[in-house]
Amino acid sequence: MTKDIIIRFVGSAGDGLVSLGNLFSKILKKHNFNVLGFRSYQSVIRGGYNEYQIRASTDEVLSIGEEADIIVLLNKSVAAIHRVRVNKDAMVIYDNDYINLDELDYPEDIQKLPIPLANITKDISKLKVLKNIVGFGAISQILGLDETLIKEVIVEQFGHKGEEVVFTNFEALEKGDKFATENKWPIKWEKHKYEKAQQMIITGNEALALGMISAGLKFYSGYPMTPATSIVHYLTKHLPKLGMIVKQTEDEIAAIGMAIGAAYCGARAATGTSGGGFSLMSELVGMAGIEEIPLVVINSQRAGPSTGMATKTEQADLFQAYGISQGEFPKVILAPSSVIEAFNVGVDAVEIAEKYQVVVIVLLDLYLSEHIATVRKFDLERKNSRFAILDKPSEDYIRYKITKTGVSPRTLPGTKNGVFFTGSSERNESGTSIASTLAGLPETLPIREEMVKKRMRKLEYILEELEKPKIYGEKEASITLVSWGSTKYILREAIKLLKAEGIEANQLHIKAINPFHKTEVKEILSNAKEVLCVEQNFTGQMNDYIRMKTGFDIKHNLRRWDGEPIVPSQIIAKVKEVLNIE
Amino acid sequence: MSEEFNFTIKDYESNFKPTWCPGCGNFSQWRAIRQALIELEIPPEEVVAVSGIGCSSHMPNFLKVYGLQTVHGRGIPVATGIRLANPKLTVLVYGGDGDIYGIGGNHFLHACRRNVDIITIVSNNFVYGLTTGQASATTPVGTITRTTPRGSIENPLNPIATAISAGATFVARAFSGDLKHLSYIIKEAIDHRGFAFVDVFSPCITFNRNQTFNYFRERVYKVDDTDHDKEDFYAALDLSNQKFIKDNLPIGIFYQIEHKTTYEERDFTLNQGVIPAHAPLDLSKEQIDIITKEFY
Repeated sequence: MTKDIIIRFVGSAGDGLVSLGNLFSKILKKHNFNVLGFRSYQSVIRGGYNEYQIRASTDEVLSIGEEADIIVLLNKSVAAIHRVRVNKDAMVIYDNDYINLDELDYPEDIQKLPIPLANITKDISKLKVLKNIVGFGAISQILGLDETLIKEVIVEQFGHKGEEVVFTNFEALEKGDKFATENKWPIKWEKHKYEKAQQMIITGNEALALGMISAGLKFYSGYPMTPATSIVHYLTKHLPKLGMIVKQTEDEIAAIGMAIGAAYCGARAATGTSGGGFSLMSELVGMAGIEEIPLVVINSQRAGPSTGMATKTEQADLFQAYGISQGEFPKVILAPSSVIEAFNVGVDAVEIAEKYQVVVIVLLDLYLSEHIATVRKFDLERKNSRFAILDKPSEDYIRYKITKTGVSPRTLPGTKNGVFFTGSSERNESGTSIASTLAGLPETLPIREEMVKKRMRKLEYILEELEKPKIYGEKEASITLVSWGSTKYILREAIKLLKAEGIEANQLHIKAINPFHKTEVKEILSNAKEVLCVEQNFTGQMNDYIRMKTGFDIKHNLRRWDGEPIVPSQIIAKVKEVLNIE
Repeated sequence: MSEEFNFTIKDYESNFKPTWCPGCGNFSQWRAIRQALIELEIPPEEVVAVSGIGCSSHMPNFLKVYGLQTVHGRGIPVATGIRLANPKLTVLVYGGDGDIYGIGGNHFLHACRRNVDIITIVSNNFVYGLTTGQASATTPVGTITRTTPRGSIENPLNPIATAISAGATFVARAFSGDLKHLSYIIKEAIDHRGFAFVDVFSPCITFNRNQTFNYFRERVYKVDDTDHDKEDFYAALDLSNQKFIKDNLPIGIFYQIEHKTTYEERDFTLNQGVIPAHAPLDLSKEQIDIITKEFY
């Protein structure tokens, strides 16, 4: 039988929601559940209203889910706000010394599970955060979790803090467990023996970073900006052991500038930011383009415009990425959809950048960057090779030789006979600028034509290397759902639920935004009975983009731009509306 | 330094002839940079010249070393990335007052405090030349330019004082009209361990009728001829704040300290002798264990 549960912790900034959520996710992972965890939060350091929702299942977890089975209220002020989010049959756990649910007008059908967390903790230690572990003990009773496995996680997490901390945590856990037993808390799942998990639990940002590292990333620079910052946090932890440089810079212009300098020198390099920083990077993205310097630029999208909603998710930078920087140059745009794909795109981005000497833009969104998910162990043991780099150039070496694929072998500074000039101006094959005293001369006009063509035709070869989009699900479905980015698996859940109701929907998901598989996309869409484009923005950027590239006009749209990830029930309702099903 | 060094000044000269106006102050800097590289026996392939946009920023076009011209004001961050990826290289940033003090001012400040071992040479002509004569960050108050027809009302930046305050470990000034002294200063700058900065009085013969060669010739004097202590922070600041009055424009090394560690010496990766540009790409099993432990 499938076990599937949604647990929601509700608290304020300062309640330690992230570490609590991550820790409980790890505990569930240890029990071999598939887990997905996401924090919905605000841009404040203390106070406010935050949620950390975890879904665990013996089946694959496709979305964070909607109605929580277990809700844990961490303080009085959030308890009042959360009232409207409580579904009827939820179990609500709260500290009854601080919260009086009867005062708060909570629905009558809920199962109230009061527990004096702070009071229980007081007897064990002065450390207030321990009350979370008491809570875990009580929840583990409901879920029939294995005490030994939980203790294993505690040792892994707190072992370095010494034996005393570990034992205090054990005691807290046991007290919570005991309280739940003594007070006859409901038992959702009976206790049984769990197989030990081999999976990893990791966020989209961390997975992307791991992918890039395994492809030989040696330089990363960035300026702090939510939701891209955790990439720097993760990389910085380990960099000396990787022969790698991670640099926090004075601004995003310097971040991309340094990455370009490092890449020009031969270090595989990347920089990452969100929309605001991506705007600042714009000019240098174009420079890397014309100078043909390999570079990965990550934009984890958040709700805009401008500062917008800094901690909320959106997919509204598609055209910003497509149109970034003046003029025309080849830019590859890839949008991973899941933690696993973030890893794979991390590898591909670094490789494509070097192989074709282009800028690869990776478009993430906050939901993908920040949610954690269990995944099978990544294969990090790659055999990397270098592309189009000359160690011993001949005496007549020229840097920008016109070639069939558009890729000209490069030399790295330090290489004898390899000296060349590159600049942000147009040039001839040897690198000399044709923008000043040679500009507009009859003999330079064809040079300009050929240099633009040389750079642009790289995209044709890159397209051949990219995985072609194909239909997921039944070919003859009543409706085709179109998606990009992190909504992919949320749609999959909707498709699964629709199928259970006898409605066949399939999916076309776009990962490679540029270059674009227009023939394949057009063919798939032309054969669809109905098409619904689902995206997290107001204007329907993917819908417009597909029409621009293929001429196919998608009629139906589902868009969400309030900052929270789209949910399966919205998709199901929209599909029924389109298909005229009651 | 290579064992047999037999490069000549021509070997550092590209096929592209300088496009500056005849008589431009940049010519002597073009010469001085090559002269200094020869004297220090640094072969062309071990040098990267980085610039931004502007008349002076065309410099890397005319040098036969690895040359990278960036966009306006961004030479310093790109040069920093180059140096951090391969600390074996000699990395020169070259640009004008508009490029480095104006649009690139933020990077200039942070390069000073970081003390990365790169050299920044600013051809300071007190005006925007390539865009045909607008006020720059160093244009004196009252100067009439095409954007200040009633005279500039902004106070100019003091680049020497700024660099000293921001933590640069080599701060000097030279004059395009004195090639010998200019070559010496640039050589000392390249030889310095840490961030080296040289502001060069370099007259724009087309768009600046005030700060001309004659103007400087009448006013410059050499710091070396005085008893200035270049290791004295306050004396250096004091010297940098002397007003532009007749016979009182010091040139030479204002400030130089060798005891401060460089960024490269402090960096936890570079101080292990790693050259990121050439470091192995594949992860060892041990590295994989270290970087993935937290995900289990």
